[in-house]
Amino acid sequence: MENILRTVGYVLLLAINIIAYWFLHSHFHFIVLVIMILAPAFSILSAVHLRKAIMGEVTNVGIKGEHGTQNEECFFKVKLINKTIWASLDVKLIMEVKNEFFGTKGNIDFSVPVYSLKGYEFTVPLVPELPGRITLSIKEIWIKDLMGFVFLKKKMDNYGETVIMPEVIKQEIQDKTYFEAGMLESEESSKKGNDFSDVQEIREYIPGDKLMSIHWKLSAKRDILMVKDRVSMSDKQLVVLPELCNANLYDLNTIMVTTYSLIHNLVRDKLNVRLMYWSNKRYEYEDIRIDYVEALDDAFAKMFYEECYQDMELAAGHMSLVHPEMKSYLHISSEGGRAKIVVRENN
Amino acid sequence: MAKSKDTIEDISLCEGVKLSKSIYETKENRLLTLLVKGVVVYLLAMGSIGFYLSAFSIEYNAFICHIVIFLMALASAMLYYRLLTENLGYLIVLVLFCALVYSFRTYINSGFYAIVNITTDGAAQFFNIDIQRVYSEQIENRYVTVTFAVLFIGIVLDIFLNVYISRRMQYVTAVFTIMGLNMVPLYLIFEPDALYTTMLLGGIALAYVFRSGKHYSPQVSIKRDDIKFKEKGKKKRKKKEIAYVYDAKAMVNAGIISLAFVLLMVPIISAFKPKESFNVGYQENKYKKLTMAAVSTILMDGLSGFFRMSRDVGGLESGKLGNVSTIRLDYQTDLVVQLTPYTNERIYLKGFTGVKYNPYANSWTRIDYINDNIDYLTSPEAMSLRDAYEEGYEYSAEAIIRVKNVENETIYRPYYYYDHEFEKQYMNMVVYPRLENNNYYVEGSYYDGYAYTEADLYVPEDNVEAVDEIIAQLGDPLTNEQIIQSLIDYYQENFPYTIQPGKTPYREDFVNDFLMEKKKGYCSHYASAAVLIFRRMGIPARYVEGYAIDLEQIYNSEIVEGAEYKDYYKGYSELGETGLVSVNVIDADAHAWVEVFDMKEGWHPIEVTPYATEPEEEQEDFWSMFADMMDDTNNSGDVQVEGALGNGDTINKIVKNVVIVLGVLLGLAIFTVLSVKAGRWIKYLIVVARADYNDKLIFEYQRICKKIKRKDKVFKDKINYRQQLEYLCEGKNTEQASETISRMDIEKSREKVIAILEKAGFSQDIISKDEHDYVTNWFKENI
Repeated sequence: MENILRTVGYVLLLAINIIAYWFLHSHFHFIVLVIMILAPAFSILSAVHLRKAIMGEVTNVGIKGEHGTQNEECFFKVKLINKTIWASLDVKLIMEVKNEFFGTKGNIDFSVPVYSLKGYEFTVPLVPELPGRITLSIKEIWIKDLMGFVFLKKKMDNYGETVIMPEVIKQEIQDKTYFEAGMLESEESSKKGNDFSDVQEIREYIPGDKLMSIHWKLSAKRDILMVKDRVSMSDKQLVVLPELCNANLYDLNTIMVTTYSLIHNLVRDKLNVRLMYWSNKRYEYEDIRIDYVEALDDAFAKMFYEECYQDMELAAGHMSLVHPEMKSYLHISSEGGRAKIVVRENN
Repeated sequence: MAKSKDTIEDISLCEGVKLSKSIYETKENRLLTLLVKGVVVYLLAMGSIGFYLSAFSIEYNAFICHIVIFLMALASAMLYYRLLTENLGYLIVLVLFCALVYSFRTYINSGFYAIVNITTDGAAQFFNIDIQRVYSEQIENRYVTVTFAVLFIGIVLDIFLNVYISRRMQYVTAVFTIMGLNMVPLYLIFEPDALYTTMLLGGIALAYVFRSGKHYSPQVSIKRDDIKFKEKGKKKRKKKEIAYVYDAKAMVNAGIISLAFVLLMVPIISAFKPKESFNVGYQENKYKKLTMAAVSTILMDGLSGFFRMSRDVGGLESGKLGNVSTIRLDYQTDLVVQLTPYTNERIYLKGFTGVKYNPYANSWTRIDYINDNIDYLTSPEAMSLRDAYEEGYEYSAEAIIRVKNVENETIYRPYYYYDHEFEKQYMNMVVYPRLENNNYYVEGSYYDGYAYTEADLYVPEDNVEAVDEIIAQLGDPLTNEQIIQSLIDYYQENFPYTIQPGKTPYREDFVNDFLMEKKKGYCSHYASAAVLIFRRMGIPARYVEGYAIDLEQIYNSEIVEGAEYKDYYKGYSELGETGLVSVNVIDADAHAWVEVFDMKEGWHPIEVTPYATEPEEEQEDFWSMFADMMDDTNNSGDVQVEGALGNGDTINKIVKNVVIVLGVLLGLAIFTVLSVKAGRWIKYLIVVARADYNDKLIFEYQRICKKIKRKDKVFKDKINYRQQLEYLCEGKNTEQASETISRMDIEKSREKVIAILEKAGFSQDIISKDEHDYVTNWFKENI
């Protein structure tokens, strides 16, 4: 609409000049007439050339090799590269912002200029209120010619992404009794010291098994080498199982924040934690041992590539089938935006 | 429109992601943006002026004009830097502009008239007509005056265009405004120089491109006026758009491309179709031909008539008095008079003869309204002088004076007019002048018993007292000549001439007010009062209005080529054989005088208006000064002021004016600096008055430190209270210690001061009044 009005206005001015030229027959009006006829063509052709040459680029900045944090600013640098001599005073970038993990998305348009032989770059500061994988992508570029007659569209799919970690909270956690129970068990195992290993299973020897693991008595009876599969008490880490359920975004956020905060605090207390979650993509559990905060971030970064599901009991439901050996684990879910942390046992 | 800083919030893009409000923190170079706009304004302003002047090949100092107009364009654009600079700046610009215009008004006026005259010449050439309506240029040096006029127009255009360009890039309004007058040369087929065509088109192209780009205006809220981005559209719109506000670099880029295009196109098109041969063989458009007839008629009748402001400019012809506060002259030609100079005396052209004075109505009644019998076109005086000429009297002569009315309908006749005939637009009047040594008596019988009547001796009762009071001071003149001379002398000594006497007060009489109250005035005052005084003393007298032409003015006029002297003058001449000259009689030549009767010369003119002996006084109040700013008020019809205006003493005048303007500028600059300082000081005092004791103390200490830092460079390196106070007390400790107080006490007191300062500066605790006073007293004693 805007460029139609502009074109109408220009045609009107051209008509006035034609009348003036017809009436006065002046050299000046002749020059104006020629320029007025050629200028739009020049303007549009320059925009066409610019459209062909222009490229877009989005990168995250300011958090190199690290991750952003929920509710803290993260930055994306949007760069338009123009190697032509043409410039534009109004280039519209149709951009899409997404939280891939939570599955939310929105659009934003930016109107920026483009410099000759350079392009333009600017920084987009975003405030992620939810953790996850945030992507900012340029979907389209609309280039307005200098005289404002046309908008030329160029499709693009260039994006930058950054991973946003949940914020660490120090709030009191629900169902403290269960939690404490889990903690005590874990603490106990960690405090046992030396080798307080239990025999978990007796199986046939596999090359590579330690000699000390061979169950000599049984081997003699069966005439085949049998080994005691030992599980060290120190390996009996706290297993945390969050539900990646996005039926309600606030619940998912609560689960993420609670899980992250819990593990973060445990790791800082030098306790080892196993983070397990149900991968809907691979249809199995991901099991990640977390010994330090960086490992926690990596685990969550990996988790944010997962696909969420709708059932709040999905991960817990598969646990007894897939990991029957798991004696107990900490199941983290949410209801009505409130975290629910329960120690579950595979019986 | 951007929001104020306080209400700006993050923008929600989708669930869980917001665009941070810190995007508004990005700043743009507002200064550079305004400079770019200033360049656009300069291109348009100078381009349009140069367009007009180059089309008519008018010479002026282009270099100075380019520089001044460029700088002014940049300065005007800078006014939009802040709301404060915009409001205050325009005020200062207005004051400066008025001061400049007032100082150089004569040059500017003359420059304008020069441009109009050159345009008129061009029009005369185009239409092949004789346009006599020319403006009288008070200063002959056109190069200088046109330069002044160009600077004036340039500054006005800069300010005017700046409003449209810097604010809204309203190129259409700007273009239509500046192209309005530039149609004149194009209409008359005068083409501008390529430089100015390029400048003008370049300026338009830039404005158009910037306008199309839509990101040109830094007109946002005061608090965030440098922001680079702002949210576009409605706040609750689903789709968000963030648009940059302005970007100087992008404007420069786009501007260069646009200018390059225009720079390339103008020479190419001109090479393809040169302007010199563009209209060769071209027959004017038939519709233009239709308008040409109308335009030439307008030019003949007076284009400048459109600009006449009021009826109180132009000649005197109505006999109405007292309603003019200040004579305003437009220096337009009212009459064109062609004559052969023959006398050293003034030549009067009579347009109105008043016989009856109407007190309080403040007017004269025309002679023909009083007595039809004595309203003869051919006067007995003229008939007698004709007789003398025909008899071959030695000092008699016959002249033909040609008069063409330009301004109005009234017929103005020279004295001793006998007959006339029309020749084209001129009225050729046969005149028998009374020259020096001509003692020929008027034939009494020609008066037919009505040489004068009682009306010519009538003094209204209302004026008798005032008139008698003056007569009492004239002494005891015996003869008519002595009476007349004594009054002239009395006027000269006691009634200074002015063109700004002020209006006659409501319900006051013009003559009484002049004689008793004002005791100053212009020709109408002197003539009206003189008529009543002469009558009271027994001399028949009348009041006359018209034009007076001095010999000097005649000498400065153009000679009519090809005219034979003998065709226009025969007989005795005080000046010998001369040639026919064409005199442009302007409204400044309008005049009122007295006619008196004696038996020898009959009715003849008497000049009673004194010559101005001193330069005109300054105007009384600002508004009269402002109203008369554009007029040169030092000239009038009856007083021809010599000096710079007539003699071309241009340099001295310029230097004088430049000194005045510089003085005004310096004064304003000092005033501005003092005002700013005073403003800051008042602000400081208010802040201190409102502050608690902590802040009061810190403010006081900062003020002291600031003063010391100006003088002491070492002190600048002292970064905290302790270092600063120890440094300041270094020398004093020993001096004081040797007197009354021990060194320990001094150090103790200093430590206490440091402690209080640190408490005031860094802690949450509020210091007490005693602590505050202790420190301030310590400052007074030790720093």
